[in-house]
Amino acid sequence: MAKWKHNLKTWLTRRLELPADAVMDLPRITMVGQLHIYIENHQGVLKFSNEEVRLLLKQGQLLIKGKDFMLKTILPEEILLEGKIEHVSYLERPEN
Amino acid sequence: MKEYIRELFSGYVRIKVIGSYTELFINRCIEYKIPIWDIARLDHETIILSLYISDVRRIRPHLKRTRCKVRIHERKGFPFILKRVIYSRGFLTGAISCLLLLFILSNMVWSITVNGATPEVEHKLKQAAVEIGVTKGKFIFQLPSNQELQRQITEKMEEITWVGVKRSGTTYHFEVVQKQLPEKQPALSPRHIVAKKKAIVTKMYVEEGQAQVEENAYVKPGQLLISGFIGKEDKSELVPAKGEVFGRTWYISNVSVPLTSTFLTNTGERKTSYSIGLRHFHIPIWGFLKPEFSEFETVKHKTNLRFLKWDLPLTFQTKKMLGTEEVTRTYSKSEALEAARSVARKDIEDKTSDKAEIKKEKILHHEEENGKVNVKIHFEVIEQIGKDIPIIQGD
Repeated sequence: MAKWKHNLKTWLTRRLELPADAVMDLPRITMVGQLHIYIENHQGVLKFSNEEVRLLLKQGQLLIKGKDFMLKTILPEEILLEGKIEHVSYLERPEN
Repeated sequence: MKEYIRELFSGYVRIKVIGSYTELFINRCIEYKIPIWDIARLDHETIILSLYISDVRRIRPHLKRTRCKVRIHERKGFPFILKRVIYSRGFLTGAISCLLLLFILSNMVWSITVNGATPEVEHKLKQAAVEIGVTKGKFIFQLPSNQELQRQITEKMEEITWVGVKRSGTTYHFEVVQKQLPEKQPALSPRHIVAKKKAIVTKMYVEEGQAQVEENAYVKPGQLLISGFIGKEDKSELVPAKGEVFGRTWYISNVSVPLTSTFLTNTGERKTSYSIGLRHFHIPIWGFLKPEFSEFETVKHKTNLRFLKWDLPLTFQTKKMLGTEEVTRTYSKSEALEAARSVARKDIEDKTSDKAEIKKEKILHHEEENGKVNVKIHFEVIEQIGKDIPIIQGD
């Protein structure tokens, strides 16, 4: 059932050209050089340190690595992270 | 930018959150919509973050849940700056001295205005006011009351019939009614001049009209002195008679002078005390001691203290104690007679017009009775005896 719903959403975004982040609850990530990273649609902070930030997403996690991190703004769905960003990667949840 | 302004105005704190589950704390804050920002990690267990003052209490349950401790690191924004400024000694003394200055200045005379006077009289009035003490920069409570001022100025100034003194706030208003100098007499109606009392005419000066009596003539009251008819009988013309007639008149005045009399006089000793009062309660601020003199009369004068445009319930009271003395005056007989003469002279001067002149005076009779001297004095006076009466023409 869930799979079927997911497929429908994917199909809809492709066909109707709807923004994927709105329809599918995906994170929208905006970066300004290495200075800022702006993440919408997150689900909470899992880990926060000067070198590493891990955010919970609907599917999986987002791992950001760098230096001198500071959370400039943090709102229910948005995060603005400042520092020197070196590495952004998705950690996918193992399929079960 | 907007956020920055809000941070400044409502004030915020930088707090350190210490615990093993600081991320959980952050998440809970987001979940309960407590705005936090500028989060940085200090060490393994400590993060530092900013929070509005109004939210400080709201984080307490979340701290407990996540087993975190909190330390306040810095206080920022206007509320804290204000607090620091207000409680600093310099600001406090400044504010107090500002209020004090305002209070002092509210009780000073700042301007004096004169209404209804010619520039000349206005200048004189201002000088008179200065003599009394009404000048710019004087304290209002040091000055006499308005009625007193009014009386003093009216006394000092001959040109003024009446002066109204009004004080509104820090300004004194003088409302002046100037004496009307005698204007040229308007065209007169035809009239005669007749004698008003019995007298011997000593001098006549006829400006217009026809003299009817000669010098050294004895006249009775009502006798025609200067006639308003001029010209020959058939061509007579009516004019307003004008002229001055002086005559010798006689007066007798009876005066009685007590030989001994007692009265109160001021000894010249005086003592002034000042106090500030709130309703019926007075706190003396100067002149605590009782006067050394035993008998005195007190003159009190109260003025309300003011602050800007308001009258304060505080009053400033000046209490003057004037030493008095009971004096017994005893006249010898000759002194009593002299006193009687001067009283009688004064009496005659009041009765007659300004141009009158006392030619002779003679004590007719005097006797002592019940400690009094009764004196009868005869006066011979040269004065104006003319009186106008209009001529009413018959048909």
